[in-house]
Amino acid sequence: MSPIQRLFWLLCVLNLVLATSSGSDPHGSNDTLSHEYCVLGAGPAGLQMGYFLSMRQRDYIILERNSGPGSFFNIYPRHKKLISINKIYTGRRNREFNLRHDWNSLLSDRPDLLFQRISRELYPNADDYPRYLSLFEQELGLKVKYGVDIGRIKALGFRGDQGYVLTDQNGVRYQCRVLLVATGLWVPQQVDFLGSDLVEGYESIPTDPEEFKDQAVLILGKGNSAFETAQSILGRASRIHLYSPSPVRLAWQTHYVGDLRAVNNELLDTYQLKSLDGLVEGRLDDIAIVRRVNNEGKRRTGNKTSGKSLKAKEQLYLTLSELLDNQNGNKSSNVTAQNLPGYHTDNFSLRQPYDRVIRCLGFRFNFSIFDGSAQPPQCSGARGRLPGVTAWYEGRGTPNLFVLGTAAHSRDYRLSAGGFIHGFRYTVRAVHKVLEQRYHNIAWPATKLPISQLQSWILKRVNEASGPYQMFALLGDIILLRGSHCEYLEEFPLQALSQLSALSGRHVSEHGLMVLVMQYGLNHTDTLGPGRAESEWTKAWRSNFLHPVLYYYKTLPTEKDMRQRPVGWPLPRPEAVHHMVEDFLTEWDQPISHSQPLRRFLEYCLQTDLRPFYAESCFLMSLTSRNPPVFCRQGYLKKQGILGNSHLWQHAREAGLMPDHQGDVPPDTSVPEYLTHAGAAVVSRINFDL
Amino acid sequence: QDNMCIVYLVALIFCITKVRCSSNTSKLIEDSSQSFTERMKTGKTSFIYFGNHVNPTIKLFLDQLEMSADALEDYGISVVKVNCSKETIAKYCTGEKLITKTYLLRGSEVLRSFDIDTVFDVSAIVSHVLFTVLYNEVRYVHTPAELLQVENAAKQMRDVVVGHIPVLGLPEHRALMEAAFVYGTKYQFVQTTGGPLLKHMGVDDLSVSKARLWFLHCKDMSRQMDQCPFTPMRKPLDTINIHTFLQLMEARLVTEANVDPSEVDMVHNHLNVPVLYLFSHPQTKRLDRATAQTLALQLRGEVGVVLIHRDSTDVKTPLQYNAAYRLPQEDVKYFTLNSAEEVMKLFKEELLQDYKMVEDEEENEEHWSDLEILDDEVSESVYRDRDLMLDLESITELTSDNFQSEVTQNKITVVLFYFKWDAVCMAFMQTYIQVADALEGVSGLVLAAVDCGEWTNICSDRDVTSFPFIMIYRPMEAPQPYRGMLGTESLQRFILLSQISGPVRLSSSADVLSFLEGDLYSKHADLSSIRVLGLFTSTLDTGVTSFKEAAKLLRGEAILGLFVHREAEKWVEGLSVNLPAVLLSRGSEVSREAYYLPSFSVNDLVSLVQRAVSDPFPELTVENLPWYLELEKPLLLLFVGKEYSTETSLTEMKHLLSSGQLPSFLPCWIHLGRTPVGRSVLEKYLGFVPPLPALVMSQLSTGGEVFLFPRERPLKAKNILQWLQSVENRDEHPAGVIPDTKWSPPVPVYDFLATMDQEAPGYASQRDPKMKTGAKEGHRDQDMTPNQRQTTHSSPKPQAPHEHSEL
Repeated sequence: MSPIQRLFWLLCVLNLVLATSSGSDPHGSNDTLSHEYCVLGAGPAGLQMGYFLSMRQRDYIILERNSGPGSFFNIYPRHKKLISINKIYTGRRNREFNLRHDWNSLLSDRPDLLFQRISRELYPNADDYPRYLSLFEQELGLKVKYGVDIGRIKALGFRGDQGYVLTDQNGVRYQCRVLLVATGLWVPQQVDFLGSDLVEGYESIPTDPEEFKDQAVLILGKGNSAFETAQSILGRASRIHLYSPSPVRLAWQTHYVGDLRAVNNELLDTYQLKSLDGLVEGRLDDIAIVRRVNNEGKRRTGNKTSGKSLKAKEQLYLTLSELLDNQNGNKSSNVTAQNLPGYHTDNFSLRQPYDRVIRCLGFRFNFSIFDGSAQPPQCSGARGRLPGVTAWYEGRGTPNLFVLGTAAHSRDYRLSAGGFIHGFRYTVRAVHKVLEQRYHNIAWPATKLPISQLQSWILKRVNEASGPYQMFALLGDIILLRGSHCEYLEEFPLQALSQLSALSGRHVSEHGLMVLVMQYGLNHTDTLGPGRAESEWTKAWRSNFLHPVLYYYKTLPTEKDMRQRPVGWPLPRPEAVHHMVEDFLTEWDQPISHSQPLRRFLEYCLQTDLRPFYAESCFLMSLTSRNPPVFCRQGYLKKQGILGNSHLWQHAREAGLMPDHQGDVPPDTSVPEYLTHAGAAVVSRINFDL
Repeated sequence: QDNMCIVYLVALIFCITKVRCSSNTSKLIEDSSQSFTERMKTGKTSFIYFGNHVNPTIKLFLDQLEMSADALEDYGISVVKVNCSKETIAKYCTGEKLITKTYLLRGSEVLRSFDIDTVFDVSAIVSHVLFTVLYNEVRYVHTPAELLQVENAAKQMRDVVVGHIPVLGLPEHRALMEAAFVYGTKYQFVQTTGGPLLKHMGVDDLSVSKARLWFLHCKDMSRQMDQCPFTPMRKPLDTINIHTFLQLMEARLVTEANVDPSEVDMVHNHLNVPVLYLFSHPQTKRLDRATAQTLALQLRGEVGVVLIHRDSTDVKTPLQYNAAYRLPQEDVKYFTLNSAEEVMKLFKEELLQDYKMVEDEEENEEHWSDLEILDDEVSESVYRDRDLMLDLESITELTSDNFQSEVTQNKITVVLFYFKWDAVCMAFMQTYIQVADALEGVSGLVLAAVDCGEWTNICSDRDVTSFPFIMIYRPMEAPQPYRGMLGTESLQRFILLSQISGPVRLSSSADVLSFLEGDLYSKHADLSSIRVLGLFTSTLDTGVTSFKEAAKLLRGEAILGLFVHREAEKWVEGLSVNLPAVLLSRGSEVSREAYYLPSFSVNDLVSLVQRAVSDPFPELTVENLPWYLELEKPLLLLFVGKEYSTETSLTEMKHLLSSGQLPSFLPCWIHLGRTPVGRSVLEKYLGFVPPLPALVMSQLSTGGEVFLFPRERPLKAKNILQWLQSVENRDEHPAGVIPDTKWSPPVPVYDFLATMDQEAPGYASQRDPKMKTGAKEGHRDQDMTPNQRQTTHSSPKPQAPHEHSEL
């Protein structure tokens, strides 16, 4: 081996050593991936946000711990029936309008990327949902990393003002300027009481009804999961009782889709027709479930039945913790009849034993992955199950961390649809617009309209917009008045109205602003009783059903105004308000009941006459008034007058709305010979033979 | 003559009340075709219904018609029906099964036709017929400014009676019209329907819609004063009340007497009107007169005021009283008066209360009812067509499925973006269908429409935010928005003209001549006699590209030609313009105009051509006015009709124009035959219609004063110049003023907040801050929950008496 060869060999070895040592750091702690936006969770909310981020070509990543999107739907609802409406025939082809009746699709610019491509069932199978989400993710090419289980989230800087660092199960770290938490609600909600260990959870009960054959079942909870469970075993169980603190709230009465949907409510029928099922109200935290051998009364010694050994079947009893002696716990042997309420009150409703007790109490947000500094506080409403967020969905005290999807429901809990796909797809879009303004200085998109077009634009929105329709009372259109024109902002989160300028980058002028909201009404009447529908437009404010409401403010309401808004109102008392009367067909387009009252309201707010006029009237007013009405100024005087025809003029004249100018000069349309040469291009008249 | 009127009116009232008793002698005439022909010759006014089939609605109408015959007879108007199933009268006996039109004829001339919905009962028939017959006597005004003009014209001549009639055809309207018929020669009658005048007349509560009447005391006004003082009539409008009121207006403000109250005979006593008597002492005569005057002014129209001089021996009233009043059909009541306010209070709050009560009841009934009526001409006229099925056959309906293919496959696709529920769009749709029908045969041209209420994405993708909107698509070209008048002629002209893709390349001088003379594209000559020619010597001139670009933008508006040739020079010879230039021809006879084009932008070129094609002495029409108002010059406006002198006056104006002496004015003219609305313009300017031709100078954009060329002077160029000079020197008085109308909302808003506050106190009020101090977000959420009602569905003995808590 020549020295040169040796040297060469040495270099090779050295190279190899260097290469291996640099390539295999066993700890990998320096593996930090950096993104501007991290979206946590590839469920509907996460993917929805991913779509908006990718539309703007932002640097984002969606992190998902499971191997596919929407894994929640692989398990839930346990009986596999989605109760979100998938109405594919509406008689309309308006895509925006159709989203009012499509509760499953996500928003995108692709007309074919709707859930109806996957399922045509009104109440689809839950397995179809992850399939839809996969389709959505793949066709739009969203950036999702599956199998990344983030276990720890740390804030950078002072409570996240520098961003967040996420660490996954392999120690890989993701550093992001903005964290969008779309992890949903999936931790089963539990209530701690004596004997709660004897209770089965909704998440793990068998779904085969045969397993409940001839069993008495007590279900804790009266929500959709409780009723769904009850409905599936209705034909097998002997007796089903539903127990929870509050009475059943029916979605068709409360207009809150989180309340009991009629699709799940068969048990109400068997209850009211006295077919052994029933509902009972009572507190959960001071009950106890005890196990006791099923027999009647105390057995007397010497009173033995025949050689048949007694089936020592243990059954479950509901009792109150105060009736139990503290020391005996729930050992079945120790429970005596005196420990049961039936001993004290002989007709106690739940005195009979149960074979199973099932907990159907819903889910809570997973707070455990957040470090103290990064953790949004628990919201005081909704039994602390949800993180507290601002009106623009940023965690309280965790800047640059936003909560999306079901977990962001605290803003409209039991009020609107923000906890459901058909609602939060719009709030996600609103949050994205906030992000664009805050991090990229791109103001909230606005349509500039001449004031004479405002009425028809409002009618257009009222008749098709799905966002304010689904997210009623929560998202509303903002109309910034600017004198002769206005700026129209769609679907702004109303609770953040006082922060409008900062969040949207749009400013309120001295002309004030209007807000268009869809609202349900007072709901003081019997939902199905007489007088439930209002058809008189002057009584529109008494409308019970969803209807558009316009608020007019001279100045932007302050936070204090917002806080002190009238009870039950989405917004503070305005300068003037206009309710458009509810409509049976949700078509607010009729001239007398809808358009004209709206026009008069706009006229009041703008302090100007907004009536349309035919060109002839504009001609007259343009020559005899130094400042003709706005319709003439923005139409006729811009050379776009509405001529109309004699047939229409005749109508207007008969109605006394248009003067007859004939006078005593007979109409004469022939041009005298001596005048013909005077006609110019814009004057020339042609006689068409129609 | 006054007395005659009164007698006539009283007789009339008598007639009206008697009508029903004497119904067996119907005044309704049934005409045969022969008697109808004779009627046409007489020149008398008749209200005629031609019918052939009777359904319940028509039956009701015929009953009313019969009743109206008696009423209208008093006004010399015959009421006639013609049975079309027996007689055939061309033009009127149409083939329709149900004829719902009636006609008011003077001789053979149709004054007006009415739908029977309009003339639904006697009151409606009488009011509408009289309104038409009195069209020239009763002025119809909308705004305070218009009223002011009427007042100005009436000052020192006669008093003015203003009636506000919110709904036409009701008994109030009839009463006003009947009064106008009787008193029309004595007073200037004015009718108004709109809201603006109410405020002007001091009506604060615009929400109450009822008929009102005011008497404007203009006769004794000097011309300098602004507004005539007026007295509102406080009683409901009916024939007797109006008559009484007008009598009261004629009566002396304060009657002086030297006898006891019971002896004073006044018109008020006969009219059943209360009278106030004030006693005057010789020492305080002047003061007493002043007090009486003040009180009389305040009580005018409701209470008569008499000043009784105590120095007369005939006055025997005890001295302890200084005043007395007498209610109709009652005795005189004496009292002691301490202040004028006290009397006012007594009358306003006590004695006159019964009338008020009646009024209030009526108000409540009428409340908001007028809000159910559409108050804008476009919406109402479209609404009245709601049973009309538009024939959309000639229009291609575009959808998301066929939009792209349609707009790419035709040579020209005109696309209308519209909303079905928008009245303006639907009014235009009728025009659009007319255009489509007229252009049906044109090959390669398709008129299409997109309903943006359904195909929202098509419209939003194209950023259409204003409706109706028209876009013109040609394959391989950027779509061109149509920005012209939305009328049949304008749109049709534009579409036809835009078939020529400009500029037309001309290759020889012969081509140029035929282009300028209109021989080339002669079939388009009807559309535009104007030809615009770009003249360049070399293709290298950068102007050529700009000119081509401008031609694209002007497509549909003008016919443009381009001549790039060394002979181009020839065409500007003698026009003192160098190349490159634009040559403008207005047809073969008229001289051509040339404009030198230095370095110019496309936009400059477009506006230059637009300016150049506008007429220096235009006939203003509804369709072209905006082009000329843009110039913001005072208008020198000649109103002409069919008169013989029209031609000479136009010639005089043209002389003036061609002599270049009117640089700061826009000389123009309106032909009232073709543009009937011009008549209203003239009327609003001056308050009356002078004999035509009438020359008016209107400073629309500055000051708003209107001057009328003196009628007695001949319309000669020289005189016109002189007159303009003296206007400028402020030697002429303006004949009218163009108001700077603030177009406030025509109808008050329906105040939902007030209704809420009244019907559900607290519902709409902000929360009390004290109650909510330290409230947390979460609590608010609960408060917000709208549905937390206490209607629990009680279950069988809920065992746990526990407190309800949020699950």
